[in-house]
Amino acid sequence: MTMAINFIRASIIYVFLLLIIRLMGKRQIGEMQPFEFIVTIVIADLVCIPMSDVSIPLLYGVSATLAVFIIHQFLTLLDKAGNGFKGVLSGKPSVVINKNGVDFNELKKNNLDVSDLIENMRILGYFSLDSVCYAIYEANGNLSAVEKENPDFEPNVPYAIIKHGKLDKNNYLRLDLEEGRLNSLLNENGIKSVKDVGVFTVDGNGRYYLQAYKKPYVTGYLGFKEKKW
Amino acid sequence: MVKALISALLALAIIVTGSALETFYVQKTLSEINVELTALYSKVESETATEESVSNVKEQWFKKKEMLHSFIPHNEIKEVDLWISETETLVKNKEYKDALSKINVCIQLTEQISKTFSLRIENIL
Repeated sequence: MTMAINFIRASIIYVFLLLIIRLMGKRQIGEMQPFEFIVTIVIADLVCIPMSDVSIPLLYGVSATLAVFIIHQFLTLLDKAGNGFKGVLSGKPSVVINKNGVDFNELKKNNLDVSDLIENMRILGYFSLDSVCYAIYEANGNLSAVEKENPDFEPNVPYAIIKHGKLDKNNYLRLDLEEGRLNSLLNENGIKSVKDVGVFTVDGNGRYYLQAYKKPYVTGYLGFKEKKW
Repeated sequence: MVKALISALLALAIIVTGSALETFYVQKTLSEINVELTALYSKVESETATEESVSNVKEQWFKKKEMLHSFIPHNEIKEVDLWISETETLVKNKEYKDALSKINVCIQLTEQISKTFSLRIENIL
């Protein structure tokens, strides 16, 4: 019954891994659906161990690989069949930037933070969070964005000064702001303290993007005399 | 879609059939060798066993185990090899009491291997 035992064990591990990958959120996946990702990481080991260790019958690797193949085929069929199962299996796309700016709740649900979003935006070629109308994390972990038609600002590299209520001192020092300027900016926008800020970025032209939790974003200029970078 | 379903069902059929055949073969082989070992135990107990009678069992085991290697890890099978070889030497030297314990281990091993690779919850988890 070694074939049956291997089959059942491989099936249990597959389902367990699928659950874990889904719980980990979108950060761990790259261009693959969760169940495809598992096949990639599991198959290599399943085949490698009996291949390299002559004391283990090759049949062990074959039966476990067949188990993965069978489950994968069934999951692919269920995935293609549509309906609610696709969402359970592969996850749903998350709109992380909407008309109000960054949706911090959606980011949190997917175990992501603003840094991940900014990084993925840069990969897509958008350096400012307000360069896009909408940004969506797809089920496979990729970011898709709808570009703003006529952005009214000169592109420049923004630095994140505050992320999730924490001040990045190195980036803050780059700004060389006069004392109290940051607090007055926050107060002007009805934000009590740095802790309430979800994200605050400033580019070399002094253009900032400020968004407090549960509030729409605001943009403006800090009034630099010249380009900082 | 139909192709995917057929291929999955075909693979499932291979696993089910393979498991059934494998179980039948492994259980039958181990049970046969167990019977041989039990008979040998009786002979050693009555001190009528000869080197030849142990060699016959050993020979039988070596023939049967070849195919078992395809289903059971080699280390498990190696254990039986070692204990039978020890028994052979002990019987040759007429050390029947010591030989009895060795044969007993062999009998236990064949029973244990059979249990270890059967479809049980403890073997799955």
